[in-house]
Amino acid sequence: MPTLLADLGGAGLGMPSMGDLSLQLNAGAIAPEVAVLLALLISLLVDLAGEKAASRWVPPICYGGLGAALVLLALQWNSPLAPSFFGGFLADNLAVAFRAVVAASTLITLLLSWRYVERSGTPVGEYAAILLAATVGAMILCGSTDLVSIFISLETLSVSSYLLAGYMKRDARSSEAALKYLLVGSAAAAVFLYGASLLYGITGGATDLASIAVALQTSAKPVAALSLVFVLATVAFKIAAVPFHQWTPDVYEGSPTPVVAFLSVGSKAAGFALALRILVGCFESFNEQWKLLFTVLALLSMVLGNVVALAQTSMKRMLAYSSIGQAGFVMIGMVCGTEDGFAAMVLYMASYLFMNLGAFACIILFSLRTGSDRIADYAGLYQKDPLITLGLSLCLLSLGGIPPMLGFFGKIYLFFAGWADHQYLLVVVGLITSVVSIYYYISVIKMMVVKEPQEASDVVKEYPAITWNLAGMPSLRAALVGCVLVTAVGGILSNPLFMWASSTVAGTPILQQAIAASGGGAAALG
Amino acid sequence: MTLTLLLLIPFLGALGLSLWPRTLCEVVARRTAIVLLIIQLLLSLRVIFLFDSTDGGMQLQEGLYWLSSLGLDYRLGIDGLSLPLVLINAVLTLVAAIVSRSISQRPRLYFCLLLVISGAVNGAFLSQNLLLFFLFYELELIPLWLLISVWGGSNRAYAATKFLIFTAVSGMLILGAFLGLAFATGSVDFSLTPVTTLQLSMGGQILLLSALLIGFGIKVPLFPFHTWLPDAHTEASTPVSVLLAGVLLKLGTYGILRFGMGLFPEAWSVLAPGLAIWAAISVLYGSLAAIAQVDMKRMVAYSSVGHMGYVLLAAAAATPVSLLGSVFQMVSHGLISALLFMLVGVVYKATGTRNLDVLRGLLNPERGLPLTGSLMILGVMASAGLPGMAGFISEFLLFRGSIEKFPIATLLSMVGSALTAVYFLLLVNRAFFGRLAVTPVDPNSGPLDIRIPASTLVEQLPSLMLAGSVVFIGLWPTSLASITESATNSMAQLMSTLSIVLPIGVTP
Repeated sequence: MPTLLADLGGAGLGMPSMGDLSLQLNAGAIAPEVAVLLALLISLLVDLAGEKAASRWVPPICYGGLGAALVLLALQWNSPLAPSFFGGFLADNLAVAFRAVVAASTLITLLLSWRYVERSGTPVGEYAAILLAATVGAMILCGSTDLVSIFISLETLSVSSYLLAGYMKRDARSSEAALKYLLVGSAAAAVFLYGASLLYGITGGATDLASIAVALQTSAKPVAALSLVFVLATVAFKIAAVPFHQWTPDVYEGSPTPVVAFLSVGSKAAGFALALRILVGCFESFNEQWKLLFTVLALLSMVLGNVVALAQTSMKRMLAYSSIGQAGFVMIGMVCGTEDGFAAMVLYMASYLFMNLGAFACIILFSLRTGSDRIADYAGLYQKDPLITLGLSLCLLSLGGIPPMLGFFGKIYLFFAGWADHQYLLVVVGLITSVVSIYYYISVIKMMVVKEPQEASDVVKEYPAITWNLAGMPSLRAALVGCVLVTAVGGILSNPLFMWASSTVAGTPILQQAIAASGGGAAALG
Repeated sequence: MTLTLLLLIPFLGALGLSLWPRTLCEVVARRTAIVLLIIQLLLSLRVIFLFDSTDGGMQLQEGLYWLSSLGLDYRLGIDGLSLPLVLINAVLTLVAAIVSRSISQRPRLYFCLLLVISGAVNGAFLSQNLLLFFLFYELELIPLWLLISVWGGSNRAYAATKFLIFTAVSGMLILGAFLGLAFATGSVDFSLTPVTTLQLSMGGQILLLSALLIGFGIKVPLFPFHTWLPDAHTEASTPVSVLLAGVLLKLGTYGILRFGMGLFPEAWSVLAPGLAIWAAISVLYGSLAAIAQVDMKRMVAYSSVGHMGYVLLAAAAATPVSLLGSVFQMVSHGLISALLFMLVGVVYKATGTRNLDVLRGLLNPERGLPLTGSLMILGVMASAGLPGMAGFISEFLLFRGSIEKFPIATLLSMVGSALTAVYFLLLVNRAFFGRLAVTPVDPNSGPLDIRIPASTLVEQLPSLMLAGSVVFIGLWPTSLASITESATNSMAQLMSTLSIVLPIGVTP
């Protein structure tokens, strides 16, 4: 596409503006999204050829698209920065890192999905296409720098997510989840639009974040504060921060489990990228205000998420509340606004990708084999299924922050960054709530590992023989083993991950500005 | 490289054991673990020869850069404080593996966890970086939780969870204090240098030190935070009790000495009088509570609460003699309590009960447990501090070193030491002396004269070994003192130079 336009520009001597246009479009920045989009289109076309062809060809097409996207993202790493689509999109390192997290989460989610989708008797091609559409939306959202592109990508992500949540049409709970998600999500989108319209008014007709940031510095306080509240509410809805979390448990419980895996990682990562872009990049002049609000949200999320998780009997609901708590931990890094804080956020999102999807892989496998989701049904599982027991135990320990798992290092880095920025309250609450979280993660492990064979649940007593030869099972196993391996060993070898996180921050202009501003503020105070 | 090997052998051993492709029967798993632990013990002994006992500082240091942005570097070192603890860790884990005979269910997991704990404890004692210490401190948490909750007694779930919550809270307090310490200077530094704390205000120092003291006080355990220990011991199997009392509690006292006293010398000298009182209360409480117990294991557990309190007293006094005494106390308590737990385990296995209201006359030479009884009398004597055994040396040094600084607290602790004789004499008198009878709880059925299956000499070999080493240290204390003295002297010197500079040390 860019080469074509460049050729046109070169050929038409009378139209030099075309060359400028191609420069300004800089469409190569969204090459990874194009790869995913192509996979989406081909999947839809293949789906026309019948269910059999679809289940044969859709998986490799999706792997190809997402793999190509990841490779293209790697090529974009540290590349010279140029805004594309007239300032609507920017492929800085922040965008690349979060898009990679999104693409990887989709890839792993797809690996987990095939068997699940096949068994529910729904068309594979459609499912993959909707999931890829959500991915495209989430990926573009990570790099959007314009209110219009933000809104469009946000809605692409949201609408696809509603469809995915209700994908098990015959299950009433799935439909309920989709409807709830749709209603609350639409309200959030409307709120965002309202906030965006206020911002549009403040700037006097510009929609790109850079000019909004400039306009906000001199604008009237009340209107800007109102728009801040609206935007913040949307962000909080997307990352499921308390008190904007009410949709999470119901949606997580009702939706198909692989979809929940994507929502809890990919969609959330996009939400955090949006938060960084808008709050850090745009509302810099309202630093104190949004940080205060975010501190409150983080405290509430950590406390409520972790405490309510204690009382859950359904595994998916427990993980839903735990993901609220985990989002609270990540928000510590964002409130800091220091180099370490941002790097810790990126690092934690990356480790969360592996440990959470590893846990989801285990509960998907368990529910495929037994049809159950109750925590009590895991009793005595170690005898029947050592792989699930080991994998789920390691991932939950990692989520609880027990060494030497990956989560331990991520969490320590967040607390470290928080303490360095004197966020003592957040860190202390984080420390206390991690003890709480250890308790409920451990009680699942206790169910699986400690219960004797005679105490095993009925479901486990009638556990089917373990087979891997059904279609979709080998890929599920590969994803499970891969995630668990990274979770278990990645912590000890996490040095590259730390480097990656800090160069993400180093290669992102808006974060550098924020760091410089806060550093300057500290210097002025000192 | 030697110190790294001390970590690698147990960790790689555990990994190898868990990944071994074929099914392992109990015997093979146990033998493998024993062989690995013997290698670990030999390596620990080798460290003694590499160790220069005249140097009070860190030796055999080695390290790698790991996560520099986090301030977490892999740095190990050993000094006169950690070397004895590494040694008893090696000895007691080996003993625990040897006495783990009847692990019918999941032997592979059991021995893996044992090895992981041993490696993690070694790591904690050797770490020269605060975060690295914290990593190893937390690493031992889940394996021990599993050891109690899978292979424990009937109420194991409750006891194990209580242990887990208490220790997790202790870990968070310690992490908070470490973070506060590392950022004290403005630049991030997780290494062990006492100078950094001097830049904090006194209030900040006391706050961080209090967090550390409560954190490690939970682990030791000291009086109001001790409630997890009797439960954990009662439900844990014998080898796990041996490990818990002998090795893991030492992490708490080690932490207090190394990080509390070592890193906050200034605040320490301010808090010392209060700490001495705290220690005395803990000692008296533990001893008095032990008198009231009818379960032998609970009694030994409460005696641990009392005896670990001495270490805090000695640390509060911080004289060269008292600090040497504290190391002696850690070593001798490790050996003696391990011995007592093992003997209680033998009695429990033979009679099916630990209830002191039920057991009578077990010392009966023909039908009772004469060897166990004799060893028990020896262990009890050592614990009460009779001359000629390790307990005497450590208590003498402790009280001699502390009495000038804190006379009242020391006298109270000495009362606690006398109470040790009371409750252990009660134990021996009830369970071992008199006419052999296992009185049933129901008074209507008369006393049963039974024949208790004799335990073979081989089974008693670990107990004999431990008893031997208790007497050995008692008769030749120089062997341990020569390793430790220069380290404790330099620690005491640091404290005394500071108290000259800052005339704060108030005696109660």
